Amino acid sequence: MSYNYGQQYQQRAPAPGGIDPNYLMGIFQRVDKDRSGQISAKELGEALSNGTWTPFNPETVRLMIGMFDRDNSGTINFQEFSSLWKYVTDWQGCFRGYDRDNSGSIDKNELKTALTSFGYRLSDRFYDILVKKFDRLGRGTVAFDDFIQCCIVLQTLSQSFQAYDTDRDGWIQIGYEQFLTLVFSIKS
Amino acid sequence: MAYNYGQAPGGYPGQAPGGYPGQQPGGYPGQAPGGYPPAGGFQQPGFGQPQMDPQIVGWFQAVDTDRSGKITAIELQQALTNNNWTKFNAETCRLMIGMFDKDMSGTIDMYEFQALYRYIQEWKGVFERFDQNRSGHIDYNELRNAYSTMGYNLSPQFAQMVTYKFDVQGRQALTLDTFIQSCVMLKGLTDAFKQRDPQMQGRIQLNYEDFMTMAVFNKV
Repeated sequence: MSYNYGQQYQQRAPAPGGIDPNYLMGIFQRVDKDRSGQISAKELGEALSNGTWTPFNPETVRLMIGMFDRDNSGTINFQEFSSLWKYVTDWQGCFRGYDRDNSGSIDKNELKTALTSFGYRLSDRFYDILVKKFDRLGRGTVAFDDFIQCCIVLQTLSQSFQAYDTDRDGWIQIGYEQFLTLVFSIKS
Repeated sequence: MAYNYGQAPGGYPGQAPGGYPGQQPGGYPGQAPGGYPPAGGFQQPGFGQPQMDPQIVGWFQAVDTDRSGKITAIELQQALTNNNWTKFNAETCRLMIGMFDKDMSGTIDMYEFQALYRYIQEWKGVFERFDQNRSGHIDYNELRNAYSTMGYNLSPQFAQMVTYKFDVQGRQALTLDTFIQSCVMLKGLTDAFKQRDPQMQGRIQLNYEDFMTMAVFNKV
Protein backbone atom coordinates (compact mmCIF):
# COMPACT_ATOMS: atom_id res chain seq x y z
CA MET A 1 0.00 0.00 0.00
CA SER A 2 1.38 3.38 -0.81
CA TYR A 3 1.95 5.91 1.91
CA ASN A 4 -0.78 8.46 2.39
CA TYR A 5 0.71 11.93 2.36
CA GLY A 6 -2.67 13.59 1.98
CA GLN A 7 -4.12 15.55 -0.86
CA GLN A 8 -2.38 18.78 0.01
CA TYR A 9 0.51 17.90 -2.25
CA GLN A 10 -1.52 18.28 -5.37
CA GLN A 11 -2.50 21.79 -4.45
CA ARG A 12 -1.15 24.47 -6.72
CA ALA A 13 -1.51 28.18 -6.62
CA PRO A 14 -5.09 28.79 -7.66
CA ALA A 15 -5.81 30.40 -11.00
CA PRO A 16 -7.46 33.79 -10.98
CA GLY A 17 -11.10 33.81 -11.83
CA GLY A 18 -14.41 34.99 -10.50
CA ILE A 19 -13.08 38.38 -9.45
CA ASP A 20 -13.87 41.53 -11.39
CA PRO A 21 -10.60 42.63 -13.06
CA ASN A 22 -11.56 46.30 -12.70
CA TYR A 23 -12.02 45.88 -8.98
CA LEU A 24 -8.64 44.15 -8.76
CA MET A 25 -6.99 46.84 -10.89
CA GLY A 26 -8.24 49.43 -8.41
CA ILE A 27 -6.59 47.55 -5.58
CA PHE A 28 -3.41 47.01 -7.58
CA GLN A 29 -3.09 50.73 -8.26
CA ARG A 30 -3.56 51.60 -4.60
CA VAL A 31 -0.88 49.09 -3.57
CA ASP A 32 1.52 50.23 -6.31
CA LYS A 33 2.33 53.46 -4.52
CA ASP A 34 5.20 54.51 -6.76
CA ARG A 35 3.10 53.85 -9.92
CA SER A 36 5.78 51.64 -11.42
CA GLY A 37 3.28 49.09 -12.67
CA GLN A 38 5.01 46.56 -10.44
CA ILE A 39 4.46 45.74 -6.79
CA SER A 40 7.54 45.28 -4.63
CA ALA A 41 7.77 43.22 -1.43
CA LYS A 42 7.70 46.48 0.53
CA GLU A 43 4.54 47.73 -1.16
CA LEU A 44 2.84 44.37 -0.76
CA GLY A 45 3.79 44.18 2.92
CA GLU A 46 2.25 47.58 3.57
CA ALA A 47 -0.96 46.59 1.80
CA LEU A 48 -1.55 43.26 3.49
CA SER A 49 -3.24 43.02 6.84
CA ASN A 50 -3.39 40.13 9.23
CA GLY A 51 -6.27 41.64 11.11
CA THR A 52 -4.30 42.31 14.29
CA TRP A 53 -2.73 45.68 13.55
CA THR A 54 0.73 44.17 13.49
CA PRO A 55 2.80 44.47 10.29
CA PHE A 56 2.44 41.54 7.92
CA ASN A 57 5.30 39.08 8.36
CA PRO A 58 7.98 40.16 5.82
CA GLU A 59 9.10 36.54 5.40
CA THR A 60 5.59 35.59 4.30
CA VAL A 61 5.56 38.49 1.86
CA ARG A 62 8.88 37.39 0.38
CA LEU A 63 7.68 33.79 0.13
CA MET A 64 4.54 34.88 -1.71
CA ILE A 65 6.38 37.19 -4.07
CA GLY A 66 8.68 34.26 -4.81
CA MET A 67 5.71 32.02 -5.58
CA PHE A 68 3.93 34.39 -7.93
CA ASP A 69 6.81 36.25 -9.52
CA ARG A 70 6.98 34.08 -12.65
CA ASP A 71 9.46 36.28 -14.49
CA ASN A 72 11.85 36.38 -11.49
CA SER A 73 11.90 40.16 -11.44
CA GLY A 74 11.53 40.31 -7.65
CA THR A 75 8.30 42.24 -8.13
CA ILE A 76 4.85 41.27 -9.32
CA ASN A 77 2.86 42.69 -12.20
CA PHE A 78 -0.91 42.97 -12.40
CA GLN A 79 -1.46 39.47 -13.74
CA GLU A 80 0.76 37.94 -11.05
CA PHE A 81 -1.01 40.09 -8.47
CA SER A 82 -4.39 38.70 -9.53
CA SER A 83 -3.20 35.17 -8.78
CA LEU A 84 -1.71 36.27 -5.49
CA TRP A 85 -4.89 38.06 -4.47
CA LYS A 86 -6.95 34.95 -5.06
CA TYR A 87 -4.41 32.93 -3.11
CA VAL A 88 -4.49 35.23 -0.09
CA THR A 89 -8.29 35.50 0.00
CA ASP A 90 -8.58 31.70 -0.26
CA TRP A 91 -6.23 31.33 2.71
CA GLN A 92 -8.17 34.00 4.56
CA GLY A 93 -11.43 32.14 4.09
CA CYS A 94 -9.82 28.95 5.28
CA PHE A 95 -8.19 30.64 8.26
CA ARG A 96 -11.40 32.33 9.38
CA GLY A 97 -13.13 28.97 9.34
CA TYR A 98 -10.75 27.77 12.05
CA ASP A 99 -10.38 31.00 13.98
CA ARG A 100 -13.66 30.58 15.84
CA ASP A 101 -13.33 33.57 18.12
CA ASN A 102 -12.13 35.90 15.34
CA SER A 103 -9.00 36.67 17.35
CA GLY A 104 -6.82 36.74 14.24
CA SER A 105 -4.88 33.73 15.42
CA ILE A 106 -5.43 30.00 15.85
CA ASP A 107 -4.20 27.68 18.57
CA LYS A 108 -2.50 24.32 18.27
CA ASN A 109 -5.69 22.27 18.10
CA GLU A 110 -7.23 24.54 15.48
CA LEU A 111 -4.02 24.40 13.48
CA LYS A 112 -4.00 20.63 13.69
CA THR A 113 -7.64 20.46 12.59
CA ALA A 114 -6.91 22.76 9.65
CA LEU A 115 -3.83 20.90 8.46
CA THR A 116 -5.44 17.50 9.02
CA SER A 117 -8.29 18.63 6.79
CA PHE A 118 -5.67 19.39 4.11
CA GLY A 119 -4.59 15.78 4.41
CA TYR A 120 -1.49 16.03 6.59
CA ARG A 121 -0.95 13.18 9.01
CA LEU A 122 1.42 14.39 11.68
CA SER A 123 1.74 13.75 15.41
CA ASP A 124 0.89 16.01 18.33
CA ARG A 125 4.59 16.37 19.08
CA PHE A 126 5.09 17.74 15.59
CA TYR A 127 2.31 20.29 16.08
CA ASP A 128 3.91 21.44 19.33
CA ILE A 129 7.11 22.23 17.44
CA LEU A 130 5.17 23.78 14.57
CA VAL A 131 3.27 26.21 16.80
CA LYS A 132 6.44 27.13 18.65
CA LYS A 133 8.18 27.91 15.36
CA PHE A 134 5.41 29.92 13.76
CA ASP A 135 4.20 31.73 16.86
CA ARG A 136 5.95 35.04 16.38
CA LEU A 137 4.16 36.85 19.17
CA GLY A 138 4.88 34.33 21.91
CA ARG A 139 1.22 33.67 22.66
CA GLY A 140 1.05 29.99 21.88
CA THR A 141 -1.01 30.73 18.79
CA VAL A 142 -0.37 31.31 15.08
CA ALA A 143 -1.50 34.53 13.38
CA PHE A 144 -2.83 34.71 9.82
CA ASP A 145 0.41 35.82 8.15
CA ASP A 146 2.42 33.17 9.99
CA PHE A 147 -0.21 30.59 9.15
CA ILE A 148 0.30 31.21 5.43
CA GLN A 149 4.05 30.88 5.88
CA CYS A 150 3.55 27.68 7.86
CA CYS A 151 1.37 26.18 5.13
CA ILE A 152 3.82 27.11 2.37
CA VAL A 153 6.74 25.64 4.32
CA LEU A 154 4.89 22.38 5.00
CA GLN A 155 3.83 22.11 1.38
CA THR A 156 7.34 22.80 0.06
CA LEU A 157 8.93 20.29 2.44
CA SER A 158 6.33 17.64 1.71
CA GLN A 159 6.73 18.02 -2.04
CA SER A 160 10.50 17.74 -1.71
CA PHE A 161 10.17 14.64 0.45
CA GLN A 162 7.75 13.09 -2.00
CA ALA A 163 10.12 13.73 -4.89
CA TYR A 164 12.68 11.53 -3.13
CA ASP A 165 10.12 8.92 -2.09
CA THR A 166 9.77 7.33 -5.52
CA ASP A 167 8.23 4.09 -4.23
CA ARG A 168 5.84 6.06 -2.01
CA ASP A 169 6.41 4.04 1.15
CA GLY A 170 6.89 7.10 3.36
CA TRP A 171 10.66 6.55 3.67
CA ILE A 172 13.54 8.13 1.82
CA GLN A 173 17.29 7.65 1.51
CA ILE A 174 19.07 10.94 1.43
CA GLY A 175 22.66 12.20 1.46
CA TYR A 176 23.98 14.85 3.82
CA GLU A 177 24.25 17.78 1.41
CA GLN A 178 21.02 16.83 -0.38
CA PHE A 179 19.28 16.94 2.96
CA LEU A 180 20.76 20.31 3.89
CA THR A 181 19.89 21.79 0.51
CA LEU A 182 16.34 20.58 0.77
CA VAL A 183 15.75 22.09 4.18
CA PHE A 184 17.55 25.35 3.40
CA SER A 185 15.26 25.77 0.40
CA ILE A 186 12.35 26.64 2.73
CA LYS A 187 14.11 29.83 3.74
CA SER A 188 12.35 32.73 2.13
CA MET B 1 34.46 3.81 4.18
CA ALA B 2 33.18 6.44 6.53
CA TYR B 3 31.63 9.51 5.00
CA ASN B 4 33.68 12.63 5.41
CA TYR B 5 31.47 15.28 6.96
CA GLY B 6 34.50 17.43 7.47
CA GLN B 7 38.24 17.21 7.87
CA ALA B 8 38.27 17.44 11.63
CA PRO B 9 39.19 14.33 13.65
CA GLY B 10 36.19 12.10 13.94
CA GLY B 11 34.73 13.91 10.98
CA TYR B 12 32.99 16.40 13.20
CA PRO B 13 32.75 19.85 11.76
CA GLY B 14 33.66 22.73 13.93
CA GLN B 15 36.79 21.49 15.62
CA ALA B 16 38.74 23.43 13.13
CA PRO B 17 41.81 25.48 13.90
CA GLY B 18 41.29 29.17 14.10
CA GLY B 19 38.74 28.73 16.80
CA TYR B 20 35.06 28.99 16.79
CA PRO B 21 32.60 30.09 19.44
CA GLY B 22 32.35 27.61 22.24
CA GLN B 23 35.63 25.77 22.35
CA GLN B 24 34.46 23.47 25.12
CA PRO B 25 34.95 19.72 24.61
CA GLY B 26 33.22 19.00 21.36
CA GLY B 27 34.43 22.39 20.28
CA TYR B 28 31.35 23.70 18.58
CA PRO B 29 28.75 26.31 19.29
CA GLY B 30 25.69 24.67 20.64
CA GLN B 31 26.39 21.38 22.34
CA ALA B 32 23.12 21.47 24.21
CA PRO B 33 20.13 19.44 23.03
CA GLY B 34 18.55 20.91 19.97
CA GLY B 35 21.84 22.26 18.70
CA TYR B 36 21.60 25.28 20.94
CA PRO B 37 24.64 26.90 22.44
CA PRO B 38 25.57 26.27 26.02
CA ALA B 39 23.59 29.25 27.21
CA GLY B 40 24.91 30.16 30.60
CA GLY B 41 26.87 26.92 30.54
CA PHE B 42 29.28 28.37 33.05
CA GLN B 43 26.55 28.24 35.66
CA GLN B 44 26.94 25.11 37.74
CA PRO B 45 23.94 24.10 39.83
CA GLY B 46 24.39 25.23 43.40
CA PHE B 47 26.93 27.87 42.56
CA GLY B 48 24.42 30.65 42.45
CA GLN B 49 24.15 33.24 39.72
CA PRO B 50 27.23 34.26 37.79
CA GLN B 51 28.91 37.58 38.36
CA MET B 52 27.37 40.34 36.32
CA ASP B 53 29.60 42.57 34.27
CA PRO B 54 28.59 46.15 35.26
CA GLN B 55 28.84 47.30 31.65
CA ILE B 56 26.41 44.57 30.57
CA VAL B 57 24.04 45.56 33.39
CA GLY B 58 24.07 49.07 31.94
CA TRP B 59 23.31 47.77 28.45
CA PHE B 60 20.56 45.54 29.77
CA GLN B 61 18.87 48.49 31.44
CA ALA B 62 19.16 50.54 28.28
CA VAL B 63 17.58 47.76 26.20
CA ASP B 64 14.84 47.00 28.72
CA THR B 65 12.90 50.09 27.73
CA ASP B 66 9.73 49.18 29.65
CA ARG B 67 11.76 48.44 32.82
CA SER B 68 10.17 45.02 33.24
CA GLY B 69 13.46 43.35 34.15
CA LYS B 70 12.98 41.19 31.09
CA ILE B 71 13.96 41.70 27.47
CA THR B 72 11.64 40.69 24.64
CA ALA B 73 12.71 39.88 21.07
CA ILE B 74 11.46 43.33 20.01
CA GLU B 75 13.52 45.12 22.66
CA LEU B 76 16.52 43.03 21.71
CA GLN B 77 16.13 44.05 18.07
CA GLN B 78 16.48 47.70 19.05
CA ALA B 79 19.84 46.90 20.63
CA LEU B 80 21.60 44.71 18.09
CA THR B 81 23.19 46.05 14.94
CA ASN B 82 25.13 44.57 12.08
CA ASN B 83 28.47 46.03 11.07
CA ASN B 84 26.73 48.27 8.57
CA TRP B 85 24.49 49.68 11.32
CA THR B 86 21.36 47.95 10.12
CA LYS B 87 19.25 46.39 12.85
CA PHE B 88 19.39 42.64 13.41
CA ASN B 89 16.50 40.96 11.64
CA ALA B 90 13.52 39.88 13.72
CA GLU B 91 14.09 36.17 13.09
CA THR B 92 17.62 36.24 14.45
CA CYS B 93 16.43 38.06 17.57
CA ARG B 94 13.74 35.45 18.12
CA LEU B 95 16.30 32.73 17.53
CA MET B 96 18.65 34.23 20.12
CA ILE B 97 15.90 34.73 22.71
CA GLY B 98 14.79 31.12 22.13
CA MET B 99 18.33 29.87 22.74
CA PHE B 100 18.90 31.70 25.99
CA ASP B 101 15.41 31.76 27.41
CA LYS B 102 15.72 28.83 29.78
CA ASP B 103 12.38 29.24 31.51
CA MET B 104 10.53 29.43 28.15
CA SER B 105 8.96 32.75 29.04
CA GLY B 106 9.68 34.28 25.65
CA THR B 107 11.87 36.85 27.36
CA ILE B 108 15.34 36.86 28.87
CA ASP B 109 16.52 38.20 32.19
CA MET B 110 19.79 39.97 32.92
CA TYR B 111 21.83 36.80 33.43
CA GLU B 112 20.50 35.25 30.25
CA PHE B 113 21.25 38.51 28.48
CA GLN B 114 24.85 38.38 29.63
CA ALA B 115 25.24 34.87 28.22
CA LEU B 116 23.56 35.97 24.99
CA TYR B 117 25.73 39.04 24.73
CA ARG B 118 28.88 36.96 25.05
CA TYR B 119 27.58 34.48 22.53
CA ILE B 120 27.01 37.25 19.98
CA GLN B 121 30.46 38.68 20.69
CA GLU B 122 31.96 35.28 19.91
CA TRP B 123 30.09 35.15 16.64
CA LYS B 124 31.15 38.68 15.87
CA GLY B 125 34.77 37.57 16.27
CA VAL B 126 34.20 34.66 13.90
CA PHE B 127 32.45 36.92 11.43
CA GLU B 128 35.25 39.46 11.42
CA ARG B 129 37.86 36.76 10.99
CA PHE B 130 36.15 35.47 7.86
CA ASP B 131 35.30 38.91 6.50
CA GLN B 132 38.74 39.14 4.97
CA ASN B 133 38.19 42.26 2.93
CA ARG B 134 36.57 44.03 5.92
CA SER B 135 33.48 44.86 3.92
CA GLY B 136 31.14 44.16 6.84
CA HIS B 137 29.72 41.30 4.79
CA ILE B 138 30.58 37.68 4.22
CA ASP B 139 30.47 37.05 0.50
CA TYR B 140 30.37 33.75 -1.35
CA ASN B 141 34.13 33.16 -1.33
CA GLU B 142 34.43 34.11 2.33
CA LEU B 143 31.56 31.78 3.19
CA ARG B 144 33.22 28.89 1.36
CA ASN B 145 36.37 29.57 3.31
CA ALA B 146 34.38 29.77 6.56
CA TYR B 147 32.74 26.40 5.90
CA SER B 148 35.97 24.66 5.16
CA THR B 149 37.71 26.24 8.17
CA MET B 150 34.82 25.18 10.39
CA GLY B 151 35.26 21.70 8.97
CA TYR B 152 32.16 21.39 6.83
CA ASN B 153 32.55 19.35 3.70
CA LEU B 154 30.13 21.17 1.41
CA SER B 155 30.09 21.96 -2.29
CA PRO B 156 30.52 25.46 -3.78
CA GLN B 157 26.88 25.22 -4.90
CA PHE B 158 25.78 24.95 -1.29
CA ALA B 159 27.60 28.14 -0.27
CA GLN B 160 26.10 29.79 -3.33
CA MET B 161 22.60 28.76 -2.31
CA VAL B 162 23.09 30.02 1.27
CA THR B 163 24.34 33.42 0.10
CA TYR B 164 21.33 33.66 -2.16
CA LYS B 165 18.79 32.51 0.42
CA PHE B 166 20.00 34.52 3.39
CA ASP B 167 20.78 37.70 1.57
CA VAL B 168 17.80 39.98 1.92
CA GLN B 169 19.61 43.17 1.04
CA GLY B 170 20.48 42.10 -2.49
CA ARG B 171 24.23 42.28 -1.91
CA GLN B 172 24.92 38.58 -2.50
CA ALA B 173 26.52 38.52 0.93
CA LEU B 174 25.62 37.84 4.55
CA THR B 175 25.48 40.33 7.37
CA LEU B 176 26.28 39.27 10.95
CA ASP B 177 22.64 38.40 11.75
CA THR B 178 22.06 36.23 8.70
CA PHE B 179 25.50 34.67 9.10
CA ILE B 180 24.62 33.59 12.66
CA GLN B 181 21.20 32.39 11.49
CA SER B 182 22.58 30.28 8.68
CA CYS B 183 25.34 28.78 10.86
CA VAL B 184 22.91 27.89 13.66
CA MET B 185 20.61 26.23 11.14
CA LEU B 186 23.49 24.37 9.48
CA LYS B 187 24.79 23.17 12.84
CA GLY B 188 21.36 21.99 14.02
CA LEU B 189 20.66 20.09 10.82
CA THR B 190 24.14 18.55 10.75
CA ASP B 191 23.78 17.33 14.34
CA ALA B 192 20.35 15.89 13.64
CA PHE B 193 21.61 14.16 10.51
CA LYS B 194 24.69 12.70 12.19
CA GLN B 195 22.61 11.39 15.05
CA ARG B 196 20.86 9.21 12.50
CA ASP B 197 24.07 8.16 10.78
CA PRO B 198 25.96 6.09 13.37
CA GLN B 199 28.00 4.32 10.68
CA MET B 200 29.06 7.71 9.22
CA GLN B 201 28.00 6.81 5.71
CA GLY B 202 26.79 10.27 4.77
CA ARG B 203 23.40 8.83 3.86
CA ILE B 204 20.42 8.14 6.06
CA GLN B 205 16.96 6.63 5.90
CA LEU B 206 14.24 8.98 7.04
CA ASN B 207 10.52 8.68 7.36
CA TYR B 208 8.13 11.49 6.57
CA GLU B 209 7.38 12.67 10.10
CA ASP B 210 11.01 12.50 11.19
CA PHE B 211 12.04 14.51 8.15
CA MET B 212 9.37 17.14 8.74
CA THR B 213 10.30 17.40 12.42
CA MET B 214 14.01 17.83 11.71
CA ALA B 215 13.31 20.50 9.10
CA VAL B 216 10.78 22.53 11.06
CA PHE B 217 12.67 22.26 14.35
CA ASN B 218 15.87 23.61 12.80
CA LYS B 219 14.23 26.20 10.60
CA VAL B 220 15.36 29.71 11.45
